[in-house]
Amino acid sequence: MSQQPNPQTVTLTIDGRSVTVPKGTTILRAAEMVGIKIPHYCYHPGLSSPAMCRLCLVEVEGWPKLAPSCKTAVAEGQVVHTDSEKARAQRTGVLEFYLVNHPLDCPICDQSGECKLQDYVFAEGRVHGRSREPKRVFGRDDFGGDVLFYGDRCVMCTRCVRFMREVAQDDRLCVVERGSRSVIDTFFEKGLEGSPFAGNIVDICPVGALVSKDFLYKARAWDLDHTPSVCPSCSQGCNISIHTRDNLVQRLKPRENLEVNGWWMCDYGRFNYEWMNRRDRLSVPVVGGKAVGWSEAVNSLAEDLRAAIGQGAVRAVCSPLASNEDMGFLRALVDVLGGGEIYYRSRRAPDEIVLPGYPILARRRDLAPNVRGAELQGMIRVGDDEARGGLDQVASHEGIVLVLGDPLLDQGEDFGGRAAVYVYFGTYPSVAAGRARFVLPITTFAESEGTWINVQGRVQRFWPALRAPGEAWPAWRVLGSMLAALGEGPAPAEAHVAFERVAQRTPALEGISYRDIGTRGVMVREPALVSGD
Amino acid sequence: MPPKVKVVRRPEPERTSYLRATLKGMALTFRHLVNPNKVTIQYPEERPVLSPRWRGTHRMEVHADGRPKCVACGLCPTVCPANCIRLVGGEDDQGNRYPVVYEIDEFRCIFCGMCQEVCPVEAIHVGVDYENAEYTRDRFVYDLDRLMEQDHPTALLWDPSDPRSE
Repeated sequence: MSQQPNPQTVTLTIDGRSVTVPKGTTILRAAEMVGIKIPHYCYHPGLSSPAMCRLCLVEVEGWPKLAPSCKTAVAEGQVVHTDSEKARAQRTGVLEFYLVNHPLDCPICDQSGECKLQDYVFAEGRVHGRSREPKRVFGRDDFGGDVLFYGDRCVMCTRCVRFMREVAQDDRLCVVERGSRSVIDTFFEKGLEGSPFAGNIVDICPVGALVSKDFLYKARAWDLDHTPSVCPSCSQGCNISIHTRDNLVQRLKPRENLEVNGWWMCDYGRFNYEWMNRRDRLSVPVVGGKAVGWSEAVNSLAEDLRAAIGQGAVRAVCSPLASNEDMGFLRALVDVLGGGEIYYRSRRAPDEIVLPGYPILARRRDLAPNVRGAELQGMIRVGDDEARGGLDQVASHEGIVLVLGDPLLDQGEDFGGRAAVYVYFGTYPSVAAGRARFVLPITTFAESEGTWINVQGRVQRFWPALRAPGEAWPAWRVLGSMLAALGEGPAPAEAHVAFERVAQRTPALEGISYRDIGTRGVMVREPALVSGD
Repeated sequence: MPPKVKVVRRPEPERTSYLRATLKGMALTFRHLVNPNKVTIQYPEERPVLSPRWRGTHRMEVHADGRPKCVACGLCPTVCPANCIRLVGGEDDQGNRYPVVYEIDEFRCIFCGMCQEVCPVEAIHVGVDYENAEYTRDRFVYDLDRLMEQDHPTALLWDPSDPRSE
């Protein structure tokens, strides 16, 4: 069977492997598709390619010179060698030039362990440099914001300059001087201070030239555990990776997801992680002021709830940080207890901060990750833009009062004082939980598995990055056990079971399972939820 | 083939004299009293001479101004096979990387000397030292100050005249 060549695709050979790619693809991308990684610095999928690092040069048969693979489009029948004698010699030579002025300060460099120069030199560099000249020294420079610049370590890939120019569209960096004296600099005294996306240049810097002040000398790259997660700081739901060490979050890094955040995230989300490390946590279930085990807590609570069914409607408050599993089970519990209203309060910023070069990414107005999930469960938004107030009818409610995750910072000691049963599922001690007979410790998102729905209507999973303190349980597990004690099905043992239970009773999530969501997320089935802010 | 068994006939106990064997043993004992090649040393009045490559408890080298030489690069806790080094890095007032916490659990340590070998700034060393007795177990976790106070000689991990053992 003869194949008609498709005018939209091109077939070429890279290192003996035949590849068919869309027309206009670069050799570097085509090689990536078959798993051949061509070393590069200046190329970044989210930026333009100036082809100035000269590291991605490959041999193309019939061409007189090596070609920069990040810039060269594929052609029909091309034969490319990335690992030939000529290409390798070129890379070794280029790397030797990079090391002419690069300091040997890997022991104190924060990039050490995730540094592309280290990797490439280790793989293909010369064992000893031949340069006998003294190295040029720039020292370190404070670029403002969170960014420190070590000029000596820079390899002049200009990714940072191009990020600020093309993606942030806030031209604050440039290359000054020429030749070996060239260096990245800011304009006069106007640094990166105030730029809401400048933290990304630390991520894209392939070496340790741009480092984060926040992370400075804090941990070594190889000591960090990486957990895929979702940024909890706004309803955009940027895909992130939580880097932890010794059960503490050390930093957040964006995780590539072209549908949500590309390769980027905002500085607001990036540095809003200290609360995950808070130690003043609720860690054991407390019933009537006495610490008890979970089975006792669940049983006595079920008993109290059963006695209180029918004494008016339930009033519940839910944090918009809770997962869909938590919210779904809260709704199910409220329904079993006779129905009632669930309120949520979300902090709201005055406006969105859009990343101009990647406009689907913005710091959204809602500064909570699961506002869409709360709406999906029919929760009612109350309170002002600082997530205060709006709970008067809950504070003095005489039936069952449930609080899930909301810290109730604005409420007084007598919150829930007249309730028949007041249950506080929380992470931190709160003054307003003083009248609660049941204070049950739950985990934060960083300690449990679950899903959120972002502003686009995309269900996204997060994974546990930290160990939960003491006996804290995920809220869905507590609520599921409670429902089981009230005779409503078996208690879910795992998060995916909890999600399936919630999906069954929520039309917008119907048929979605953890496997479908994966690490990239899927859209909900309900178009009403798929919209901007 | 059945194994061959050699049957040894011993003299009957009541017909045996142990006198000869006892005298022989005592002769050995008295010979050792005056033996010039004795191995016993009169510790603590006499001290053993340790090899310069002896690997004992650690010592941290210090700069002239009293700062530790360690730059908190994290290589020793990474290479340590016994996982006995705890290190938390930080920035000092001059902007240098330095160890905020540096602890070695000498009970866990197997004295392999790899920390000394891997150190890029020759800060941590295993020492030529063996007098480590303490009254409590927690005293065996040496913190940075204690490591800097040690003044015993540091171990030579290789012969300086023949560093590659050729």
